[in-house]
Amino acid sequence: MKKQIDNIWIGQQDLTNDEEFINSAGKEFAQDQVEYYDMPAHLSGNRRDFLKFLGFGLGAATIAAGCDIPVKRAIPYVVKPEEIVPGVANYYASVYVNGGDYCPVLVKTREGRPIKIEGNDMSSITNGGTSARAQASVLSLYDTNRFTGPKEKDGASWVESTWEKLDGLIRAKLNGAKAIRVVTNTIMSPTAKKALEEFTTKYTNAKVVTYDPVSSSALLDANQKNFGIRAIPSYKFDMAEVIVSFDADFLGTWISPVEYAAAYAKGRKITNAEQPKMSRHIQVENHMSLTGSNADNRILVKPSEQGVAIAHLYNEIAGGGMSTSGLNDRAKQNLSKVAKELKAAAGKSIVVSASNNVNEQLMINAINNALGNFGTTIDWSKPSYQRQGNDADLKTFATDLKAGNVDFVIFWGANPVYDSAYGTDIAASLSKAKTSISMALTNDDTTDLCTIVTPTTHYLESWGDVEAKKGSFNIIQPTISPLFDVREAELSFLIWANSEGIDKTKDQPYYEYLKENWKNTVFKSQSEFGSFQGFWDSTVHDGVFEASVSSGPAYSSAEIGSNITKPATSELEISFFETVHMGNGQFAGNPWLMEMADPVARTVWGNYLAVPVNFDGVRTMVGLNDLKDGDLVELTIGDMKVVLPVIQQFGQMPGTVALALGYGRKMAGNTGSNVGVNVNGSLTMGADGPQYFNTNVSVSGKVGKEKDFSCVQYHHTIGVRGIDAETNKEINVDESALVFFDYFTGVKGFQGALTDRSVIYTSNVKDLKNSIEHLHEKRKEAQHLNEQQIYRGYDHLYTLGHHWGMHVDLNACIGCGACTVACMSENNVPVVGKHEVSIHHEMTWLRIDRYYYGDVENPNTVYQPMMCQHCDNAPCENVCPVNATNHSSEGLNQMAYNRCIGTRYCANNCPYKVRRFNWLDYTKADLWPINQPRLQEESIPFGADNLTRMVLNPDVTVRSRGVIEKCSFCVQRIQEGKLTAKIEGRPLIDRDVRTACQTACPTGAITFGDLNNKEGDLNARMESPLNYIVLEETNVRSTVTYTMKVNNRDQSFDA
Amino acid sequence: MSAVVSRIREPLITGNKTYHQITEDLVSPTEKTPTKEWVIGFIIAVSVLTFGVFCIIWTIWVGIGAWHLNRTINWGWDITNFVWWIGIGHAGTLISAILLLFRQKWRTGVNRAAEAMTIFAVLCAFLFPIIHMGRVWLAFFIMPYPNTRGPLWPNFNSPLLWDVFAISTYFTVSVLFWYTGLVPDFATVRDRAKGLRRKIYNVLSFGWTGSAKHWQRWESLSLVLAGIATPLVLSVHTIVSFDFATSVIPGWHTTIFPPYFVAGAIFSGFAMVLTLMIITRKLLHLEDYITIEHIESMNKVILLTGTMVGIAYLTELFIAWYSGYVYEQFAFFNRALGPYWWSYFGMMFCNVVSPQFFWKKSWRRNITLTFFLSIVVNIGMWFERFVIIATSLARDYLPSSWSLYSPSWVEIGIYVGTFGLFFTLYLIFVRVAPVIAIAEIKHILKTGGDQYVGENAPHHHHHSESHS
Repeated sequence: MKKQIDNIWIGQQDLTNDEEFINSAGKEFAQDQVEYYDMPAHLSGNRRDFLKFLGFGLGAATIAAGCDIPVKRAIPYVVKPEEIVPGVANYYASVYVNGGDYCPVLVKTREGRPIKIEGNDMSSITNGGTSARAQASVLSLYDTNRFTGPKEKDGASWVESTWEKLDGLIRAKLNGAKAIRVVTNTIMSPTAKKALEEFTTKYTNAKVVTYDPVSSSALLDANQKNFGIRAIPSYKFDMAEVIVSFDADFLGTWISPVEYAAAYAKGRKITNAEQPKMSRHIQVENHMSLTGSNADNRILVKPSEQGVAIAHLYNEIAGGGMSTSGLNDRAKQNLSKVAKELKAAAGKSIVVSASNNVNEQLMINAINNALGNFGTTIDWSKPSYQRQGNDADLKTFATDLKAGNVDFVIFWGANPVYDSAYGTDIAASLSKAKTSISMALTNDDTTDLCTIVTPTTHYLESWGDVEAKKGSFNIIQPTISPLFDVREAELSFLIWANSEGIDKTKDQPYYEYLKENWKNTVFKSQSEFGSFQGFWDSTVHDGVFEASVSSGPAYSSAEIGSNITKPATSELEISFFETVHMGNGQFAGNPWLMEMADPVARTVWGNYLAVPVNFDGVRTMVGLNDLKDGDLVELTIGDMKVVLPVIQQFGQMPGTVALALGYGRKMAGNTGSNVGVNVNGSLTMGADGPQYFNTNVSVSGKVGKEKDFSCVQYHHTIGVRGIDAETNKEINVDESALVFFDYFTGVKGFQGALTDRSVIYTSNVKDLKNSIEHLHEKRKEAQHLNEQQIYRGYDHLYTLGHHWGMHVDLNACIGCGACTVACMSENNVPVVGKHEVSIHHEMTWLRIDRYYYGDVENPNTVYQPMMCQHCDNAPCENVCPVNATNHSSEGLNQMAYNRCIGTRYCANNCPYKVRRFNWLDYTKADLWPINQPRLQEESIPFGADNLTRMVLNPDVTVRSRGVIEKCSFCVQRIQEGKLTAKIEGRPLIDRDVRTACQTACPTGAITFGDLNNKEGDLNARMESPLNYIVLEETNVRSTVTYTMKVNNRDQSFDA
Repeated sequence: MSAVVSRIREPLITGNKTYHQITEDLVSPTEKTPTKEWVIGFIIAVSVLTFGVFCIIWTIWVGIGAWHLNRTINWGWDITNFVWWIGIGHAGTLISAILLLFRQKWRTGVNRAAEAMTIFAVLCAFLFPIIHMGRVWLAFFIMPYPNTRGPLWPNFNSPLLWDVFAISTYFTVSVLFWYTGLVPDFATVRDRAKGLRRKIYNVLSFGWTGSAKHWQRWESLSLVLAGIATPLVLSVHTIVSFDFATSVIPGWHTTIFPPYFVAGAIFSGFAMVLTLMIITRKLLHLEDYITIEHIESMNKVILLTGTMVGIAYLTELFIAWYSGYVYEQFAFFNRALGPYWWSYFGMMFCNVVSPQFFWKKSWRRNITLTFFLSIVVNIGMWFERFVIIATSLARDYLPSSWSLYSPSWVEIGIYVGTFGLFFTLYLIFVRVAPVIAIAEIKHILKTGGDQYVGENAPHHHHHSESHS
């Protein structure tokens, strides 16, 4: 049998090779005569043909459908780096530095990509706090506008060049140059300074010109006179009982805001509600600044009155005899009261000023000296180097350049064409210098006019060091290889100077140089470490090194000249201010910062003229010249005329307007170019440098309407009090202003419409006891109502295991917005652009609501970080038709993006309005790129390119168009924390899980934790009698707790 | 059916019609070449529909961002239009079901068109919950179908899911009801038709022969369907109102919504029936079948339901005040006096004030006024839904998130497009089916024809006979 298998025959015909049989064998039904239906010739075919066609068709369709899907590259390591475990983040200590901006950070990297900035809590200066700028800096690393290599200008266009070619060319030109100028912003790096010194030693006709985009030159000069050192002392706001600030935005932008904010908040938190103690903060300003908004009392003076305001305080405290004519009476009265308060708190107070007038700063020093603050609240033993700019130097440079006396300029990270008061002059005469080199990261207004670009590295690609304060050292270490053909600026200087310290054969020559310098300097100044390698490794690891410092210089009085700012008589004055997110334009190219809402005005994508607002006594909030939010006006400053939108600004002094610096850059990449208006050319030139105001200003009436008025908050108050013109009684004027049409009945609004909401509770520190009683009554009532419900809830489910919750201390929150940017960075929150924000399509998971309360003319402010409240009886969950949002057993309100079909019912039903919908393909995640929205007119939409996408956090899903998203309590971090605890075999503690907003916060306002962990940090916070739950009476059972906002306002100031 | 007719009843069929004349009058529109008015109307309707389709494709292509909804106001014109169209549908069901059970004979003049209107309106309505989804291609997630994801079911707690069931049930029953009524009429058309047309109508009429058994079954089915449809008149809009009533948003979270929505739905539905019938009777010369008596009857319903709606509005205001709850109080204060005061004013005027004209008999019987007010009422009812949806959302709990909203051209285009859809279907309907139920109108000829009742009828008292 077996033999026959090779040649099977199944019948006698087969065996005999019957011809007919063989012919029919190929047919389907060989045995029978199959009758096919009559078919047209072109349709002939049988079942097998049909199957063939079907198979082919299916195959072809499959291939055709499959072939256009973009190929995603995933390349495994050939040799896996030892420290990288896929899926596990590595943290490296480094320092965020941008000019004088400083923040020691930990850089979170995933698979070799830096993706997130965290604060370095080993730093004695920032203690782990961060700023919005530091948080956003990681995005600048992946900026598609970055220079990809050195370039040379050929006519009007840039052409690629090579480092070898340019180094030779530059060295040759340096040798022949008459006058070389290196223009920089503040440099805090000792090694960079050494490199520059080598450069200026080699080229003796080279000078370094340092300036700051927003100048603190007069402060430095005054300190030089009083203390013999051109630096800034350490202000200890935590130790001050009375803080007086003349226009210094020390919580937002002035010198070292992260450091100050943390210390300030310490003095503002209510730790003992029985005997509450908090500092008094008086801000003297015309515009509602971030710092002013946190103040207890604001004394309104016009910008030109700042000098005499300081002089008045100086006269009262230090017994000076300065003229104070021109100071408004109310300010005079109140400043006298402030003087009394300060004297009562002598040695426990701080007076600061942002004035750029040396005499005014000398008066401030004299006041602090008279109060005995030096050595107590103001410490000179560790002076800060965070501002080093010298306006006189810059002025000389501009003059020399104009005169044609400078033939070689190097701009290192500085953009004076845009951000200095001499911008126009520098721009016009830069061509007089034969060679102009820019060491910028991206093209900017200055670089665009230069002849050579030798791009420097982003700080996340660089080696470097920082000495922000005397003896406080940090190492900047790279967290990724340079993405492009770029080189540390320091290295360029050393190469051009033919430095002997540079060994070009080394892989990282500047690293060797840095190390060598540290070996000779910092290492020698310490005794803790015996070997340099041990010292170096430890410092690089920690990112910080504290050297011991001796005591600082003592105050010696200096003659105070009479040349202070003279009060102007003009009807209107304008002040220019720096914002947290834009600086003076340095951050305009960063989409996260561009879309970060201004903490005070809540506007994005542009600078809006802040105009004073008042109540008409009936029911309208009237802006200057009857202007309303979003109206376009023509602003005339001197001979500059611009058309720009306005925003009604509560707390803006009548007779003044204000405008943010930092906008209107011509060259700031896809994001920052031509957004807003540039006013750097309109600064008043004072004797000591630019003054950030102008008195020759006029504002027209409405000339149009801003096309995309972008303000994320339309309603600004939680009720402000004023006088009803008819009854002459004090009413809540904003509640009157809620009426649009009264049917000719004279209805005056609904008193209590805002103030009776359980959104914000405020109290004066003196009334705290009563206010707490009132709060508890309200809470009891709400809880009583909630108990009457037939809904029993599922609270018992959350008593076991973890139950995540959050506490937000409104007395610590200063509104700086670091958390909002951190949240965007951590959770891949998309940037949507101006138009989208203008129709309220912003995607922020975490926002800081800002409400004014109190006096309509001079209100107080409360900031309320608002994110998903993770309600245990969440109204969003029961309305979703497809169960896309649901509750975890740990009390988290979760989103299953894949399940979401986008009915948006949940977003409607959210009382906190924290749910965000992907209206368009904001993340550029769709398969077809045809409908990708753009931020500006960029050719490749922001985020659609592989470079920008490197910043995405791989632990967080990128959401597609048409789904809802919202705060997840950083569920990825919760998961990580749980794993950490599990691996270490111990119960989880609150510190294992810290949300992105919590770690970013410089003031510790946010505490996240497990409500079931009775010993945890969160439960410690939950004991405060100031706590409340927003909208408690709705019975949604929010797990986020806020504290009552307490102020220390002196009502007598309003009289 | 008893044929005792009160002497004060006015005739429901005028013109001394015979059974044959009725057939002629009602079938002939399906047999003649379309009139110029019809052709122009059809071209306009299809053009508008095309634009609507374009806007829908645009929305799906670009994303819901093509609309001007925002993070605060997540529903706007879309759901407003949805509720509005659904509401309009209610008159048809009420006329065909409840009026049938109540033996209201005047319903026969308008029930066919009203039922057609219901179906077309429900189609227009159903469009909105579908296209308002961010990911419409996953719309099937809302269906409870067996699946391998667990299985993962929809959320039976969600009013949106209840909507799915309510509306699909409503649509199915409405279509059945409508079609059942059409069967004998299609047979009538068939009997007069030739060739292909005859074949088609033969299929459509399910081979109706007019035997007594057919009529008996037909009557029974109509009654059963009326029984099923009657609760739907109340339930569908009740469930639609749950979309709002079960939420936590002040102005939405209201127990009065179910009856208030049902009354409003009938109110707007009758207004729409009037708008349509006044045009139809004119263009198809059906004045003998849709008489002033019919119009007056419907105006009475409008007066009644309009006043009910008015009472609901006032009750809402009272309860808001009485609640002592600041959010509720402000929601209503804001509706009336806030930035959208004009829509509240429009709602109050159109829905509460304008129907009050119908207290006067001569105005109830005035066709021009009726036509005008029927449109006013529908504008008012649209405002009502806009007021409830948009103004409640615009200023809810947290003042920081208050927002404003005005539609984009796409949203307006889709709304206009649904009119195109509605009228395209309606115009096709008047060409292929008798606009008035022939069988049913013949049924009431002896009790409603002007040769038998009313002023012109011969006054002999025993004309009435029994009809089975």
